[in-house]
Amino acid sequence: MTSGKSHIIKDWRKRCLQILGTGLAFGVYLFLLAPSLIVTPVSFGSKYELKFPPASYSLDLYRIFFSTEAWTQPLLLSLRVALSTTVIATFIAVPAAYGLVRFNFLGKKFLLALIMSPLVIPSVVFALGIYLYFSTLRLGGTTLGLIVAHTMFVIPYALVIISAGVQKLDPNLEFGAMLMGAGRLRMLMTVVLPQLYPSIAAGALFAFLISFDEVVISWFLAGPNTTTLSVKMFSAIQWEISPVIAAVSTILTAVSLVVCLINVALQKGGEQSS
Amino acid sequence: MVTSATRGAGPFVAPAAILSLLVALVPIAFILYFSTMEGTSVEPFRTILKSSLFHRAMTTTVVVAFWASIISLVLGYIVALHLARQTARRRAALMVLVLLPFWTSILVKSYAFTIILGREGIINSFLSWLTGAQVALPLIFNRFGVMVGMTNYLTPLIVFPVLASLLAIDPALYRAAEVMGAKPIRIFLTITLPLSAPGVLAGVLSVAVMALGFFIVPALLGGRQDLMLANLVDFYTREVLDWNIASAVGVTLFALVGIFAIPATLIRRTKGRIAS
Repeated sequence: MTSGKSHIIKDWRKRCLQILGTGLAFGVYLFLLAPSLIVTPVSFGSKYELKFPPASYSLDLYRIFFSTEAWTQPLLLSLRVALSTTVIATFIAVPAAYGLVRFNFLGKKFLLALIMSPLVIPSVVFALGIYLYFSTLRLGGTTLGLIVAHTMFVIPYALVIISAGVQKLDPNLEFGAMLMGAGRLRMLMTVVLPQLYPSIAAGALFAFLISFDEVVISWFLAGPNTTTLSVKMFSAIQWEISPVIAAVSTILTAVSLVVCLINVALQKGGEQSS
Repeated sequence: MVTSATRGAGPFVAPAAILSLLVALVPIAFILYFSTMEGTSVEPFRTILKSSLFHRAMTTTVVVAFWASIISLVLGYIVALHLARQTARRRAALMVLVLLPFWTSILVKSYAFTIILGREGIINSFLSWLTGAQVALPLIFNRFGVMVGMTNYLTPLIVFPVLASLLAIDPALYRAAEVMGAKPIRIFLTITLPLSAPGVLAGVLSVAVMALGFFIVPALLGGRQDLMLANLVDFYTREVLDWNIASAVGVTLFALVGIFAIPATLIRRTKGRIAS
């Protein structure tokens, strides 16, 4: 009887703790999502004042954004830089991932540390180094300079994702193909690459988003004609709290949402295959 | 296991090697070169050591990074604990609530917090409406604003490693502890917390590394007195136009980050994962 009662009390206590834990967790989820949740309604609000919730809804801010050259120029530049960066970084990261997973060689650890260094070095330090370096090369303020710097910056992310894909491949298939007389290149093109497409697509997608969102390096390298969307936004938030920024923010959030859903889908796929 | 080949890696890694030598190693060499006046003197370091601006930025950086890491750890742990208790299906769905903020641009977050925390922002308007008086709490352009922005950015980075180590705990341990009569709090303190320590350590170290180098959040949500080392690098580069001093501050920041980055990489290495 008494043991049954204490059991109920214990259960009740456990239940309380669980509810508390869930409540706290949802509080944190709300805190994490708050920026995206706030920015979206504001972006459909009035062009005259920043108000939440907006008094009336319209597409004015988007219309202003897409018809103002001071915003569309940076948008186009960001898209150009992010696309070029993605293509170059993918072409470099795919073979590098394969080489680093499949081979052992002298200086591999050093090379890996060097390639991954943009993840650890504070972006400001990296940005300053590139700024000083590119100034002497006269690459400062050029689109080419931005693309080169971004390529280095996004490669670690692409490499992590693509090498995870390489690690899941069965090396015996590769041996088998070569044993059957396929040359190395043919084996790579017909056995390795097709299996890697999902990881390559994911790596490329993340590379694109990271380049598109990158601020610090672009801020240091920006010239009068090479202001990316993120740099334009950074200075706009600092100097003029214009409601148009809400529209830009919502567009960026939408892009992030797409990337995040693909991220989830990939994780699910990974769990199923393992 | 298949033995890895020791030859033939060249063509695969050459492009990455060339790029990282030219665009990662050379820039670092440039900073070292500038910070030492072309390798001739330590004058820039002596100058910043005497500068009160540098001292204040250094203190701010360490204090803010410390507290931002601790608060993010607490928030991230709460979320990871909640996620670990869900079924795989529900967890995948709830993960979106962490992944979306993780992929959201830091500019979007900073901008949103200027709307939320501003003088006439959402919180102040709400409090004014609630109390019927004009409330204008200073929530932004100060240490509080920086903390809110930084923890919002860093919390998801804690969730991933902590969740991984929570999921690795054998559920039989919990059942055994419960059968033996341990109370939930005791189970948490003697099983959950110690067994998630590797994830906590990995998460906190990587978050601390990021927090030390924060630039955007203090620039947009902080006040003048909240300048961090990264902002000082920018200040000396663009306003003062003194590249030597800027580089010296950069080298200092780099060294500071190194203190935390080295143990973080060692932990990762013991986990035996390449490039993860």
